[in-house]
Amino acid sequence: MSGLSPRQWTGLALLAALAIALPFAFEPRGYGIRILCLALLFAAMAQAWNIVAGLANQISLGHAAFFGIGAYTSTLLLIHFGITPWLGMFAAAILGGAAALLISLPTMRLRGHYFALATLAFGEVMRVIGNSWGGLTGGPVGISVPFAQPSLALMQFRETRSSYWLMLAALVVVTLVFVAIKRSRLGYRLRAIKENADAAEVIGVDTTRTKIIAAVISGALTAALGTLYAQFQFFFDPDTVFGVASVSVRMAMIAIVGGIGTAAGPILGALFVIPLEEFANQVFSAQAAGLSQLVFGLLLILVILIEPRGFMAIGPRLQRLLRKGDRR
Amino acid sequence: MIGGVYAVISIGLTLVFGVMGIVNFAQAEFLMLGMFVAYYAWAWLGLDPLLAAPLAFVVVFLLGAAIQRVLIRRVLKAPEVAQIFLTVGLLIVLENAALLMFGSGFRSVSTPYQTSSLQLGPLFISVPYLAAFAMSVASGLALWLFLKSSWFGRAMRATAQDPMAARLMGIDADRMHMLAFALGVGLTAFGGAVILPYLTASPTVGTQFAVLMFTVVVLGGLGSVAGAVVGGLAVGIIQSLSALVFPIQLQNLVLFVVFIAVLAFRPKGMLGAAR
Repeated sequence: MSGLSPRQWTGLALLAALAIALPFAFEPRGYGIRILCLALLFAAMAQAWNIVAGLANQISLGHAAFFGIGAYTSTLLLIHFGITPWLGMFAAAILGGAAALLISLPTMRLRGHYFALATLAFGEVMRVIGNSWGGLTGGPVGISVPFAQPSLALMQFRETRSSYWLMLAALVVVTLVFVAIKRSRLGYRLRAIKENADAAEVIGVDTTRTKIIAAVISGALTAALGTLYAQFQFFFDPDTVFGVASVSVRMAMIAIVGGIGTAAGPILGALFVIPLEEFANQVFSAQAAGLSQLVFGLLLILVILIEPRGFMAIGPRLQRLLRKGDRR
Repeated sequence: MIGGVYAVISIGLTLVFGVMGIVNFAQAEFLMLGMFVAYYAWAWLGLDPLLAAPLAFVVVFLLGAAIQRVLIRRVLKAPEVAQIFLTVGLLIVLENAALLMFGSGFRSVSTPYQTSSLQLGPLFISVPYLAAFAMSVASGLALWLFLKSSWFGRAMRATAQDPMAARLMGIDADRMHMLAFALGVGLTAFGGAVILPYLTASPTVGTQFAVLMFTVVVLGGLGSVAGAVVGGLAVGIIQSLSALVFPIQLQNLVLFVVFIAVLAFRPKGMLGAAR
């Protein structure tokens, strides 16, 4: 992260201090801090999605596949072999990356709508497998992470605060990966593909290979985050971790609301969307099922219609408006 | 036989893509709406679902025209990501609005012919399936005639080929888009109504059909009406065959795999080259 002015560094340091200290403002086992944890986790997931979708404009609707693979990998390793989730997380990342490679090889030549359709189907394949391979996954009833004495070694904590710091660290790591890719040669290639894939090919970018590399990184990170989710929730089922609306679309939506292709976008998006959703859940769920999901869908439509580039585009837009006002 | 119905519900999807270049992820939700229109026509008016199908068509046609006017029109020139997520948002809204309005229960109709079947030589053919198939063929033919010979149909095809040239010929492309979208979702709703006699309606029924419809359309070639017919029949056959070999819960899996394989190796579909 070079290239920042001293003022920006100070700002960033202040922000980091604030983020680290934030849990002390909440009740240690309260509801608020749990929402914050989820917001951070989803910010990291949206950031991972952003690597392929934001930089190369390959819109995936199937990232739940990698997420679910990650959740199941570490949990099954823990149940059957007693392997700590810290190692399980790496196994999850390897499997997630392998799955991304597997699905990318045949589909990365596809663009736009076709790619979105193919990834959507892949996510659904994983959901069907998760539901019907009961011997491995426990089937539709779901699976529980065995609860032991809270310890760092098993990634189980007494205080939600510790989970918060873990999620925060994950978000920082994924964001650093995103920024590093964006500034690397890989990032320039990805953006060349986004601007004009044919032109990129002509000047010698191996577009398919470039996209596959990005997809593998993105899939591996998403799977590792799946492990964190499993260790945080202690219980999950195939429809939750492989869900289209609950994972794939939500990841994408957070990145879009915040600003697709930017590093800060997914973070802003998650801090806005997740608390809003939890709030809607609390207010409406007593009245009628489906209302909070309805709000979720309406919000997505509104953002697309008003500013498809998300919050990150609103700042510059306002500045431009103000400047226009000055001239008059 | 089921393939004929698949063809009709998928023609709507392919029509929308062919004319406007948009993949409507919410298309299957209109099938669900068609089912509910037919269900309430039966519950309140005592109308047979097969007779209620035109009603479902009209209701959803009007709804589709409104949605096109208010929402879809604004993203036609937007980046793909906006188009994709607008229709995904629409999907979520429609499904949950239906959940709020109709409740989460499963609803089915009872008709006198529901359990009867015809004997044709050694074959027994269930009447509801036969009726659904006949209605599908009829509506498919009607659409084909409409596209082929009416002024609107020709104007719509012209818009699909080249919106700019169509505009120069005095065709209002905006209106054609609206017509195409309304017609597309209306037709899918029609298909939803004719399958009601042998299926149950619920707000989440759309998800069952979503991948199926996409498979049909992609198999035949996105945007090609003839392709949707071929694709529909093919998917019907694939489903029946896979039912013989695999347990029921893996049937969808076979479809998904076919779907991904077609996308990967022949994204333009079976008839893609001919078009």
